[in-house]
Amino acid sequence: MSNLVQRFLSWWHTRKLDQRPVPKEDPIAKSSLATVTAVFSLLLILTLVWALYDEIWGLRPWITYQRDFVENYREVLIDLKPRRGEEVQAIQALPGYQELRQGVEEAETEIAPELAEIEAEERLVRLELAAISKTFTTERSRLQAAIYLLETAGDAQKEGLETELEVLREGPYLLEIPDADGNIEANEYTYEQMEEKFNSLKSRQGELQGDKVELLREPTRRRRELDAYLNARLTSLTETQVDGLLSGLDNSRIEIKQIHNPELGLVDRCESCHAGTREPVLLTAEAMGGKRVFTSHPHPELLQIHDPETFGCTPCHNGNGVATVGTTEAHGQYKHWLWPLYPSENIEAGCLQCHEADRYLEISPTLDAGKQIFNEGCIGCHAREGFDPESQQLRETQRSLTDLLTRKTETQLQIERTIGTADRAQTNEEAERLYAEADALTMNIAGIDTEFAHLQAREAGLMMAFKRVGPNLKEVRVKLKKEWIPDWIQNPHDFRPTTKMPRFRLEEDQVRAISAFIWQSGIEAELPRQPSGDPVQGKTLFETRGCMACHSMGEGEEATGGTFAANLSRVGEKANYDYLVRWIHDPKQRTLPYCPIHEREITPEDYASQGLPFEFDLEHNHCPLGDHLLQVQQPTVMPNLRLTPEEARDIASYLMTRAHEDAEYAPAPYLDDPDLREEGRSLVQNFGCASCHEISGFENEGKLGTDLTKEGSKPIERLDFGLLTSQAKHDGWYDQKGFFQRKLENPEIFDEGKSKEPLERLKMPNFDLSPEEITQLTTFLLGSVDSKFPETAFYQPSDQRKEIQKGWWLVRKYNCVACHQFTPAQEATVLEELPLYQDPDWREQLPPSLVGEGARVDPNWLARFLKNPALEENNLNRNGVRSYLEARMPTFDLSDEETQQLVRFFSALSKQSIPYTAPALQPLSSRELTLARELFTHTAAPCLKCHATGDLVTDPDATAPNFLLIPGRLKPDWTERWIVHPEIIRPGTNMPSGLFRQEGQRWVFAPADLPSLRGYDQDHAKLMVRYMFQYSPAEQRRLTGR
Amino acid sequence: MDWGQLWEITSAPDNVPIVAMLFLVPFFTWYGFRQALANDRLIDRLEKDPELAKTHHRKVEPYREGWAQKLYVWPHLLRVEFLAAIIVTVILMIWSITLNAPLEEPANPNLTMNPAKAPWYFLGLQEMLVYFDPWIAGVVMPTFILIGLIIIPYVDTNPLGNGYYTYRQRKFAILTFLFGFFVLWLSMVFIGTFIRGPGWMWFWPGQTWDHHRLVFEVNRDLHEIFGIVSQPWVGLFGAAAVGLYFVVFGWLTHKLFVWNDFNRKIYHQMTLVQYLTLLSFLLVMWALPLKIILRLLFRIKNVMVTPWFNI
Repeated sequence: MSNLVQRFLSWWHTRKLDQRPVPKEDPIAKSSLATVTAVFSLLLILTLVWALYDEIWGLRPWITYQRDFVENYREVLIDLKPRRGEEVQAIQALPGYQELRQGVEEAETEIAPELAEIEAEERLVRLELAAISKTFTTERSRLQAAIYLLETAGDAQKEGLETELEVLREGPYLLEIPDADGNIEANEYTYEQMEEKFNSLKSRQGELQGDKVELLREPTRRRRELDAYLNARLTSLTETQVDGLLSGLDNSRIEIKQIHNPELGLVDRCESCHAGTREPVLLTAEAMGGKRVFTSHPHPELLQIHDPETFGCTPCHNGNGVATVGTTEAHGQYKHWLWPLYPSENIEAGCLQCHEADRYLEISPTLDAGKQIFNEGCIGCHAREGFDPESQQLRETQRSLTDLLTRKTETQLQIERTIGTADRAQTNEEAERLYAEADALTMNIAGIDTEFAHLQAREAGLMMAFKRVGPNLKEVRVKLKKEWIPDWIQNPHDFRPTTKMPRFRLEEDQVRAISAFIWQSGIEAELPRQPSGDPVQGKTLFETRGCMACHSMGEGEEATGGTFAANLSRVGEKANYDYLVRWIHDPKQRTLPYCPIHEREITPEDYASQGLPFEFDLEHNHCPLGDHLLQVQQPTVMPNLRLTPEEARDIASYLMTRAHEDAEYAPAPYLDDPDLREEGRSLVQNFGCASCHEISGFENEGKLGTDLTKEGSKPIERLDFGLLTSQAKHDGWYDQKGFFQRKLENPEIFDEGKSKEPLERLKMPNFDLSPEEITQLTTFLLGSVDSKFPETAFYQPSDQRKEIQKGWWLVRKYNCVACHQFTPAQEATVLEELPLYQDPDWREQLPPSLVGEGARVDPNWLARFLKNPALEENNLNRNGVRSYLEARMPTFDLSDEETQQLVRFFSALSKQSIPYTAPALQPLSSRELTLARELFTHTAAPCLKCHATGDLVTDPDATAPNFLLIPGRLKPDWTERWIVHPEIIRPGTNMPSGLFRQEGQRWVFAPADLPSLRGYDQDHAKLMVRYMFQYSPAEQRRLTGR
Repeated sequence: MDWGQLWEITSAPDNVPIVAMLFLVPFFTWYGFRQALANDRLIDRLEKDPELAKTHHRKVEPYREGWAQKLYVWPHLLRVEFLAAIIVTVILMIWSITLNAPLEEPANPNLTMNPAKAPWYFLGLQEMLVYFDPWIAGVVMPTFILIGLIIIPYVDTNPLGNGYYTYRQRKFAILTFLFGFFVLWLSMVFIGTFIRGPGWMWFWPGQTWDHHRLVFEVNRDLHEIFGIVSQPWVGLFGAAAVGLYFVVFGWLTHKLFVWNDFNRKIYHQMTLVQYLTLLSFLLVMWALPLKIILRLLFRIKNVMVTPWFNI
């Protein structure tokens, strides 16, 4: 050891070149570089080998993958065969199969003798042909060549050639033709005879083949039926198919498998490793040796809709489709690929870029929920294309209206000026010209007026459709108990854990200031005092009128009811009884109307100053102080349940009992402190309360937050991770998903560690979202991208399917899905799951399913119904169609456009064409009328036993819709299908089936064979339909005496 | 000490050659100097021993009996070259297998990288932009560099040192070159690669490259310090400052040049034109470190400000 050290030291000390010991021999001439060269040559060879390895396998992992896949798949298929065999045998044992097989065998036996004959003859003909073909065809060519020579020869040779031709024609040719017994007959034939024989044999052959086909037609058809029977029942593949797959594997080449769609600029090589995605056999990870890469696509039905050859993989999954060198690269999970594979919980984000217009897709519940949450709350502060279009449209319309008014005033001024100039004109001509000009301008005004009226109608509709996320805070003085307000603002989730209202990060003095401002800016009014109601009755009403489809009652685990609207467990602590009664009776009622032009509430004094009575509603929506429209309704989606004032009082009384006994609220005298008002005002502006609420002075506030339309495409550099940037990079959440998730969990997280002024801190409040909600919203945001695909690739149908897309937005906006089903595959409604409706007696009280509603009802009637479901003006406290249901179909106060959209939605879902004109039904002859009445009143078809008729005495016991509504409400062809097979249209319905049976081409009344009907040879069902469609109260009185 | 940050910078495929440079340049400098100093010692011996000086010499030592005086290219040179080729190939193979060309994200004209760095051969110039205005740093100085390199043979009147390493006989040339190469070129490249981070801010090795970092670097011009604000006084002041620089540093450089006897001999061999040319180029070279000090330590951006260019 010390020897080495000494040698090292002596080397170190004699580093100087010229002090080193002089070598004996010439160092350059005698030095041998052999060792060094050998070493490095070896290294070179090794690096070459390494490079080759890298090139062949290292950079091409898909080679190994595909080899593994083929091995494992082969095993799976081989395992499958016996099981398939068993399945095939099981099906073959079924009676249906046996029957068909018998049929096949019968048919085949029947034709067997004839078939044998034909085949025998065929064989003979074939043998004969074989015998003569060669000779004949040879001689034919020889002859034809000779004929050609003759035709093209000069005259001199013609004679000689003709003789030769004759010789050929004569022959004779010896043919040995077998006959039926197998003997061979040798005969001599001339050429013509030979030709004739040949042709006749050929034609005979054709005939025989034709006969054979004819003969086999029936057996072939039966055999095909047999195979179809088997294939229809096989869950997947037959043995032959499996064999086919196996031989496919044997012939498979190991190569890059690529999907290329030049229109979309798509190159996806995912299947080079994910080889099992589209295989017809279900492949699981266990079956494939534990390798998840080879599993089948979990949703083959999606692949049916989105053909992978067109769509590839990356539009839905993201990732780097072209990469093949490794998993990280192919999945795009490295720094430079900005579109990494979506994690499995966010996979539905990929749907969004094409399905922006869709609000409901069965296959993407996470995305749908994300859209729902976004629309319920986030849209208040964050603009996003496609969401909340009404607010912008309303603003634009109002702006256009103001412009029009300005133009009108200017034009009027100009008219006056022109007329003035005309009056002072020097010459007649000039005066006339100017007067004509004034006339033309007057016509302009007429045009402006028309446009104005048109726009104002649109504005009215938009005002009806425009809704705000949160309640109207101008009403706080009449609505709330004042001490409750600061408590609520401090932390809404303490009072109501499921509320949409978020928790702002406010100091106590800020809360006081805000509360003071809100309180002082509220409308001061005296509501009419309401007598108290019956809380017990109120509870029953609350639970049966349908309130619980949107609202829930009960706290924590015990909450039942819908989550679309507020949980009302503690509403008694906050509410003013009189206001509650008014609200429940008509939620859209405002204390004072709001004028967007004057930007204030219009008071009774304003009305009085113009000599107008103080009334405002949808019919009386003009501002007394000018020609513009007022906001006459509360911008809430809560509909009007058409309750009597008594019912409203009962429910309100019940709700006022819902409170915590021990809840205490500190007195809040500061709410009236005028000094706090200004501070509160600036805080309200800073925190953007008016983005969700209607607040005095802030009606036109814009949206405070970022536009999230393309948030998923935001470059990571533009997302501010604050001081957590390096930690995020280190811990692996420095990407869009990491940002969104953590921000939603705790919106102030990226302020951590920063010293900022309180008002400069991040403003987004905390919503206390659950982890599922965060995943849903993250999925939605990740999918909100600036798509790199052309718009033609998006799902933007221009036909009826667009109406379906638009309709779902409305249906989700007003929460129709809480009570009704629209498609068979929809999840259960809220009411269906309520404890009340689990009782079999109450099951019938469920609101009707709307699957197929477009096929069932006249769309014009539907529009009228949606406008007023009571279907009459006087007694509104009822359901117009099903008066026996406790649950109330509310009046939603939809704008005309929304109503029409819903009607188109239903029509599109049932693929009905619009516009619909009711077909004219032939009136009944007197004979037909008698027959129809007989059928109608027959005991086997007691229609009026279940159907309501508008008779207030019997209707409460009815269980089916009002019969008298049929003309005008239903469509005749649907009605016909309904009375014949109601169980197909609505499985589980109480409407009896089997009322009609088929006799030949027509339907006849099944339960009884009425003698009077024997002579009637028309369709009974059509007769009934025609009768029902002319059913009237007069007919009703005639039949029942009432 | 953020080792992660350090690793990120040094392992970026673009920066790997610069890291290699950090080792190779000192090594080869040392290698050359070792040879040069040994040669100098030989020169010493030979100067003292004229008999020995007349004999043939081999590299750092006198010739020995039996050693070859001439060697053939084949095999001796080619053998070595062949080995060198193999070694270089091995290095290249290993490099290309392990380090992939940095295929980064698709170009986005709306999003500039931060920091947006030039390739290494221009990093020196990019760094110079901190100290000089673009006309000077991007046009004038590169032109001076090129022309300076071109005129070296014309101002170099030192006949010694051809064909062998020597330090003593070529002190001026070697020191000037090392100054130009290490200080004016390599150190700029080093700073540009390892030190300059987001926003072109100064980050010591091991400091995290924080995009949100805020530094106080408000610069001022020389004339502002002296309170001169209006043209033409500003321009005149600047011209005076630059003139002063040339005069003072010119005199200092001259003093440095004629420091020892050897150099004085060279000086007397040069014509005035040659000497003035040499001096002006030297002075331009000196300007860079001077400006660096002024900028980094005193936050002075420009010495001379005119409406057309600044120095």
